[in-house]
Amino acid sequence: MSIGNPRISGGVALSALLALGTTFVTTLGVSARADEVNRATLYGDMTSVSQDMLNHAGQDANNFLMTHGDYTQKRYFPNRQINTMNVRHLHPAWIFQTEVKETQETAPIVVDGVMYVTTAFDHVYALDARTGAELWHYKQPLGAITVYCCGPNNRGVAVYDNMVYLATLDSKLVALDAKTGKVAWQSDIADPELGYSETMAPTAVDGKILIGTNGGEYGIRGFVKAFDAKTGKLIWTFSTIADNSTGVWATKDATGQDLHRDIAAEKAALAKLGDPAKKLGGGVWQNPSVDLANRRIYFVVGNPSPDLDGAPRPGDNLYTDSLVSVDLDTGKYVCHFQYVPHDVWDLDSVSATVLVDAKGENGASVPAVLHAGKTGFVYVNDRKDCHLIRFSEAMVPQDHMYALPTASPGTRMLPGANGGVEWSPMAVDPTLNLAYAINLHQPMHYSVKSAAYPGGDKLWLGGAFTVIAEEEQWGNVTAVDYNSGKIRWQVKTPQPMIGGILATAGGLVFTGESNGFFKAYDSQTGAELWRFQAGAGVNAPPSGYSVEGREYIVVGAGGNAQVDAKRGNNIIAFTLD
Amino acid sequence: MPTWILVVFAALAVIPSARADGIAEKATLCASCHGENGVPVDPKIPVIWGQNAGYLYVELRDFKRGARASEMMAPMVADMPRDEMMALAEYFSKKPWPNLGRKPADAATAERAQAVANSAQCSQCHLAGFLGASLVPRVSDQGFDYLLATLEAFRSGARANNVWMTDLMKAYSDEDMKALATYLAGL
Repeated sequence: MSIGNPRISGGVALSALLALGTTFVTTLGVSARADEVNRATLYGDMTSVSQDMLNHAGQDANNFLMTHGDYTQKRYFPNRQINTMNVRHLHPAWIFQTEVKETQETAPIVVDGVMYVTTAFDHVYALDARTGAELWHYKQPLGAITVYCCGPNNRGVAVYDNMVYLATLDSKLVALDAKTGKVAWQSDIADPELGYSETMAPTAVDGKILIGTNGGEYGIRGFVKAFDAKTGKLIWTFSTIADNSTGVWATKDATGQDLHRDIAAEKAALAKLGDPAKKLGGGVWQNPSVDLANRRIYFVVGNPSPDLDGAPRPGDNLYTDSLVSVDLDTGKYVCHFQYVPHDVWDLDSVSATVLVDAKGENGASVPAVLHAGKTGFVYVNDRKDCHLIRFSEAMVPQDHMYALPTASPGTRMLPGANGGVEWSPMAVDPTLNLAYAINLHQPMHYSVKSAAYPGGDKLWLGGAFTVIAEEEQWGNVTAVDYNSGKIRWQVKTPQPMIGGILATAGGLVFTGESNGFFKAYDSQTGAELWRFQAGAGVNAPPSGYSVEGREYIVVGAGGNAQVDAKRGNNIIAFTLD
Repeated sequence: MPTWILVVFAALAVIPSARADGIAEKATLCASCHGENGVPVDPKIPVIWGQNAGYLYVELRDFKRGARASEMMAPMVADMPRDEMMALAEYFSKKPWPNLGRKPADAATAERAQAVANSAQCSQCHLAGFLGASLVPRVSDQGFDYLLATLEAFRSGARANNVWMTDLMKAYSDEDMKALATYLAGL
């Protein structure tokens, strides 16, 4: 009897029934177990992800339980088997090819030898993390109308208890049985025909599934929502756009640079138009970090709608382009800090927040939260009241920053609208007090043209940003000391970078490039120690895990729509012999 | 198996196809311009066979609303309900993309077109191979005359149902557009 094939064992069970009658139950039992073995966990009953496991995910050298490693989102994998001394021997353990050859941004999740990855257009795969063998495949049945900016991306799943959670392009939250991939429940997050969509991975914590929304390019009103992990019922909603969105009429950004606002004209527009809150945008592209001790979450809010035209949206446009903290249990506002008030450049806040202990103004260590902006700064904020402690040296050239957009062909300005740092998550090595960010240098023209809200299924940008074809583009990997704001090391890359980065206790950082290279650097010095050519853009955040005592590094290589990196459909796991 | 079961099955099989036949009947009118075999009768008329359903639906809706002006299309959809527009869109999206006998662009034209596509970040929406998805149309292997006319109509604002494209196209010259249309038509 073949244990691995239930169909064959079922056939044997039928013959056994005909021959002996009484052996039927026993044989069917074997058949059912065979079915389970084929589909389920590779390690007995260790399928279930407990809250305790999630709380300690940052110290788990076997699993990778969250999009960004743990609730602090450091993307620091605490295994040193693969390290600076041996990384040159790293080689592919396996390559899994998905069904979808399009933009790939998934962060692989690994639970006791089972890996969960997603693809563009909302497919989920469960794989044997040792071999890459497919355990199950789920495909979200998307309707004819899905509205999303910047590619049909998906950044991965959340795991909790015995479920896998997916947020979809048609703005649904889907709970799948972790063993089988079957749908347990599905809830509507928002109306996709009004411009709401999901590309981010959910976050699971204490029986809640947290999710933001995309749509800042379509005149939505953004939010973060919490759903019940068991039932899919909505628990709370925090609107990322304040009812009074005008703020303090700030004339400078977080770093003291002039924003060239015409406050009088804006106030006149406010008197005429009223508060623009209803269609003000404010998407959330990345997972919130969770401060378990204080029961708070920290996330950043994206650009106002329309992106480039400030005329219909007078005021600071709170809480766009801001760090925001809310209460984990109630969703109530705790504090915020706005980096770019009244943004007309799409220089918004999209990369995931990271919780660290950093030096405060007086030199003592304080609970802090980091964010890497499209502006090219790493911001260090105090977790207590969200205020800014310091900002880093600029990681990319800032040229005529905050020059106002003009009529087509527009004004040249750096950074371009993709950053600086795009949605790509940072990594942090807390033993070195370094944060690692990947950047784009992509000179652009910014043009503005007022247009009425076109309805939720049309881009509403209020102008255009175009890459200046004649100018060189490049990227970099930058290590920033978050206690001083100084750049410790920087490595230039031939193309602008989008994807993500992973730090490990082996003294390494791993990150990929649009030209297909996946590289390991010495996290202390930036020395390149290893590279691999993946054949397609490596524009996804890597993860680390171990099975049966062997450490692996895994990354998606499928290219990227936003920077048009060569497409592929590979999930590649690397290990040492 | 008793005969009556076969009869029930046969009847059930007819129900969905009756609706499909209704749409197919309506689609015959479309074929008079967009082509019986998917090849448009005039090079300025777009290919709709194999086009993305979301895009086809929104265009029909915009013709009806007047957001996209067309003397030819407006009367076709004037009384068409949403369900029917969606059914037509689905119907055509499932047809195979026709063979227009495409000619790949020469190297210099392709290079210029790729520079424009990179600058305009076309791939962010039109995706790999310019195949689009959902509301974003496939533009690869579309007819040259239609592509060029559409790019020009976006730039001049004559086609007004996607202001973003108007703002974007203003950054490019006639030669850029010609190169882009030639390149896309040859993909």
